[in-house]
Amino acid sequence: MDNKIKAMIYDGNFLRDVAEKLLEKGYRVIAPIKSGNYFIFREIDNPERISLNFINTKKSAKEFLFPQNEGLIRYREWIEEILLDSKKRAIIGIRPCDAKAITLLDEVFLKGFKDPYYEARRKNTIIIGYACNETGDYCFCSSLGLSPHETEGMDILVTNLGDRNYLEVITDKGDEIIGLFDVKEVTDEDGKRKHELERKAVESTTRKIVSDMKDVLVNNFNSDYWRKVAFNCIGCGTCTFLCPTCFCFDMLDEGEKEGIRYRAWDSCQFPLYTLESSSHNPRREKWQRLRNRFYDKFLYTVESKGKVFCVGCGRCISDCPAGVDITEVMNGLLKEVSE
Amino acid sequence: MDENTLKKLKEKCREMLKEDVEVIIVYTRKESEPKEILTVIESPDEIEKITLSPLSANNPAKHLIHELKNRSGKIGVVAKGCDSRAIKQLINEGKIDRERVHIIGISCPGIIDYRKLITKFKPSEVKKVTLSGDTVLVQTVNDEQRIPLDKLIYENCLYCTHPTPQEYDSLLGEVREGRRDFSDIEELEKMSQEERWNYWIGELEKCIRCFACRNACPFCYCTECLVDPTDLAISPMSPAEEKASYPRFLGKTVNAQDNLFYHLLRVIHHAGRCVGCGECERACPMDIPLRKLERKLEKEVIEVFGYIPDGDVPFLARLDILPEKETTSGR
Repeated sequence: MDNKIKAMIYDGNFLRDVAEKLLEKGYRVIAPIKSGNYFIFREIDNPERISLNFINTKKSAKEFLFPQNEGLIRYREWIEEILLDSKKRAIIGIRPCDAKAITLLDEVFLKGFKDPYYEARRKNTIIIGYACNETGDYCFCSSLGLSPHETEGMDILVTNLGDRNYLEVITDKGDEIIGLFDVKEVTDEDGKRKHELERKAVESTTRKIVSDMKDVLVNNFNSDYWRKVAFNCIGCGTCTFLCPTCFCFDMLDEGEKEGIRYRAWDSCQFPLYTLESSSHNPRREKWQRLRNRFYDKFLYTVESKGKVFCVGCGRCISDCPAGVDITEVMNGLLKEVSE
Repeated sequence: MDENTLKKLKEKCREMLKEDVEVIIVYTRKESEPKEILTVIESPDEIEKITLSPLSANNPAKHLIHELKNRSGKIGVVAKGCDSRAIKQLINEGKIDRERVHIIGISCPGIIDYRKLITKFKPSEVKKVTLSGDTVLVQTVNDEQRIPLDKLIYENCLYCTHPTPQEYDSLLGEVREGRRDFSDIEELEKMSQEERWNYWIGELEKCIRCFACRNACPFCYCTECLVDPTDLAISPMSPAEEKASYPRFLGKTVNAQDNLFYHLLRVIHHAGRCVGCGECERACPMDIPLRKLERKLEKEVIEVFGYIPDGDVPFLARLDILPEKETTSGR
């Protein structure tokens, strides 16, 4: 355990109460709400809208740091920059996998060249996580070295102990927030309960992935396996758009003589993504595009950033219209190679 | 789709692979959950993998087009009522060569909505899902539960007009009657214009423009789509200004209005063609009721042109040969 992390107990529903407090202080509060058959992050103005009875939200919270559409400049005879969005905000109730994913987006947008649009939002965002006491059937964070009670990427992590909340305060930003509340010391009993909940959550995670596959991937780029796994794939962008770590975007102009230059999420699963202006397309075939998704997450980002870009949230599995399954594909590759 | 039909299907496939069929497109179970996926089998060794149950959901028509392109031999395909209608329609449109296809028609009692199933069961604990009469038997690691199919059925299947294939080379399962029912669309039509607008804007706001609906649709087979043309205007010879002005009907702006534009543009291309397989709505990760758009259009086409997409002449060709219709009052 990181000894910088401070633990404490809050009597009551911390996520709800912190939302109320931050709204009073003028923060934009982003929290999970129920919408139809699923849960989704929304900016709320009333803490009663928060719904915490979920395994995970349909979309991750990445769009609140890196929106699907984002204006960059306005143009007509002159160019006008769009003001950076630096309003104070809090993302509340985010799951550990999605918070970890934000640290991976940080690698992309803040290391080396700093993306000013992302940076302005990120700097002004407080992240208050919500530990998973129960994991879903599509979850596999624990086989990626994460825990359902992981604190990485958060300012505060809240674990629901039933009648009270166990808080872990990770950063100074988190400390400041905690200063607004009455908290108690953690008893041995609380510590034990928290530990037990974490252990149970890890144990109940049935899905596993073999992620340390660098060499296997390097050696099997041209394997027929990739054509086989792509048979079902319909080539849509669901997996990439729902993925909390996918960060690709395209820049477009809307308006001929005057208008707006904006960036928009793009997907390596679309043929236009790699189309070169010579009309050559290095990933013309669907199977090449699907293969790229696995290589990008488990090889290219490992080579360029030293990190696997998958956090095990399972959205690409549960929402794939064709049943493509990242765990089956990766585990299957290992099996294929060893046969 | 009971155990007996599956047995017959396996026998049929074994027979076909021995004869003139190169591969067969069938359903198999996913490894980690009971969801079924489309798979190509090439040898009799793979026959035991074949599944057939109310989880055999996806329409194989698009995969069939793809396999026909990549192979030279005859291709077998398992097709439910709606699937076979799609194949028939694609034959009419010149996308599938009838001579190279062997359709194993399956009379279909309706398909389970997988999202409904997994709210009741942990997918990894479901061992087997079978149908017996109108009852779904779900075998889990702990027990076996019986649930009426009605409770789990994919909503679209409630409006199925052709549960039994019309176009096939062999048919399995007992013949079932479909019916035409637009009651859900009539409900929508009762709304005021403003209510309807708000309803659709509310639904289409959810769209993330992943294009799953388009890519899953057997009739969205254009290699060039208005929303992301890849070859239309670009060639190595294209001058720069042509490249810069290549047609883009819609950018990547994702908001309710532009999403509405995309969906209407897509749906209008299916006039008189949509066969109601429901792949669009099933593929949608955001639960947008896309079938309602298609069904409204289908209703219009029937009312205005008296056309149901089943004949041998494609809809657009038929528009030319239809005798002039008297204008119905109110139109």
